[in-house]
Formats: sequence, structure tokens, C-alpha cells
Amino acid sequence: MAIKSKRYQEARLEASTNLELYWWVFMRVSGVVLVFLLIGHMWMNAVLVDLNSIDYDYVAKRLSQTTWKVYDWLILALALLHGGNGLRYVLDDWVRDPAKRFWTKVVIYSLLAFLFFLGSLSLFNYDYGVN
Amino acid sequence: MYRGSEGQWAFYLHRISGIGILVFLVLHVLNIASAMWGPEVSNAFMKFYHQPVFQLGLLVLIAGVLYHGFNGLRIILMDFTTWGVRYQRQLWYGVWVLFVVFYLPFLVKIGGGILGGSHGD
Repeated sequence: MAIKSKRYQEARLEASTNLELYWWVFMRVSGVVLVFLLIGHMWMNAVLVDLNSIDYDYVAKRLSQTTWKVYDWLILALALLHGGNGLRYVLDDWVRDPAKRFWTKVVIYSLLAFLFFLGSLSLFNYDYGVN
Repeated sequence: MYRGSEGQWAFYLHRISGIGILVFLVLHVLNIASAMWGPEVSNAFMKFYHQPVFQLGLLVLIAGVLYHGFNGLRIILMDFTTWGVRYQRQLWYGVWVLFVVFYLPFLVKIGGGILGGSHGD
């Protein structure tokens, strides 16, 4: 079960498995990193430019630069793991029926895995023809 | 435990914003990945998402990201300091101060675009 403790020492005691404790730590570490990555991401694409001017050319140019490939892929990977695990906590709270909970998780994890695959392809396995 | 005060609101808003951000992430990745199918497909999606209603949605999303992020930092302070839990309410007000400071530029830029009738084309 998800850890509810508000203190690291208590979380260690409450953790049912080591894996659950690792997830608890991961949520905090990835969270801090994501705060900075996302504020930068939103600032660059919504404040520094008019977001209505964003089109294929803008995306193709950005996704062709190594800096943004790495930057965006970090967001993609961390956000999907952070969001997927967060949703797992929510489902454990809200979906009481074990069978329903299991299948909801199967569908959602599959969707998130597909998104990770699709996002990674668009970052690393497609040539937008921009130099 | 929380008796419906600030801590409870902090928790519910954290949850709702988290779920909202994940839903957006799904749409956002699909939208950006459509660039692999070329300009026609990609620009059709872009044009669709440049409608004012989605710009409004983006303003809500950015609010969600900023709140979730700053409240997350508050949670971390509560987890790893000896004083964090004692001052959780004051920290929550601090979250809102940071929120306002960071949200204003987005509100002005995107809100101004909506009011100014900016649709990209």
C-alpha cells in the first residue's frame, strides 16, 4: 500500500516493502527536478513566445536540437513515472474493488507505456529535416 | 485528522491538479508526436488547440502545475525537516505567494492573447 507518512523516518517504518519506500523517495526527488524543468518549459513556450504562433516548424526546430531532446525526454520520463505512481496512490484510495482496480491499472499503465514509447520516438527516432 | 482546514484543501488541490496534469500530458504528447506525420497532420492539431477554449484550459493547467509543484516542495519540507509539519499552514500560505508571483506573467501573456483575439492565424 501507498505510504501516508509525512516524515522520512515514519515512512521507512510504514513502508510495506523496500520498493514502496523507493517510490516514496522517487516522488520527492523527481518532484523537485520537475518543478524546475516545467517552469522553464512553460516559460520558454508560453511567455517568451506567443503560444498561438507554435506550429509544425516551431516543433520540428525544437525537437531537432540535442538540448531540447534531452530536456524534453527528461520531462517525459520523470512526468510519466511521477504521474503514473501518483495515479496508483489515487486508485488505491478510490477504487475499492480489487478486480476493477487491477484492470484500471493495467489499462492506465499500458497507455502511459505507449505514450513513453511514442514520445521517445518523436524525440530520438525521427528526422524533421531541420539543421 | 485535518478537520477540513487548510491542510485538507492543500491535499485535495494537490490530487485534483495532479490528475489534471496527467490528463493534459497525454493530450500534449499525442499532439507534439503528431509532428512525425508531417506538417499537414501536425498543423491541423495545432490549429485545433489554438482555439480560445484550449488557451483558457492552458491557463488552468499552468495554475495546476505551479500549485502542484510549490505544494510538493511544501510536502518535502514537512517530510525532511523537524519544523515543517508544525508550520504546514504558514508554508501553505507561502505556496500561494510563490504561486501568484509565478502565475502573473503567464496570466498576462496568455490572458492578453485571448482577450486580444489571438488565434495564431
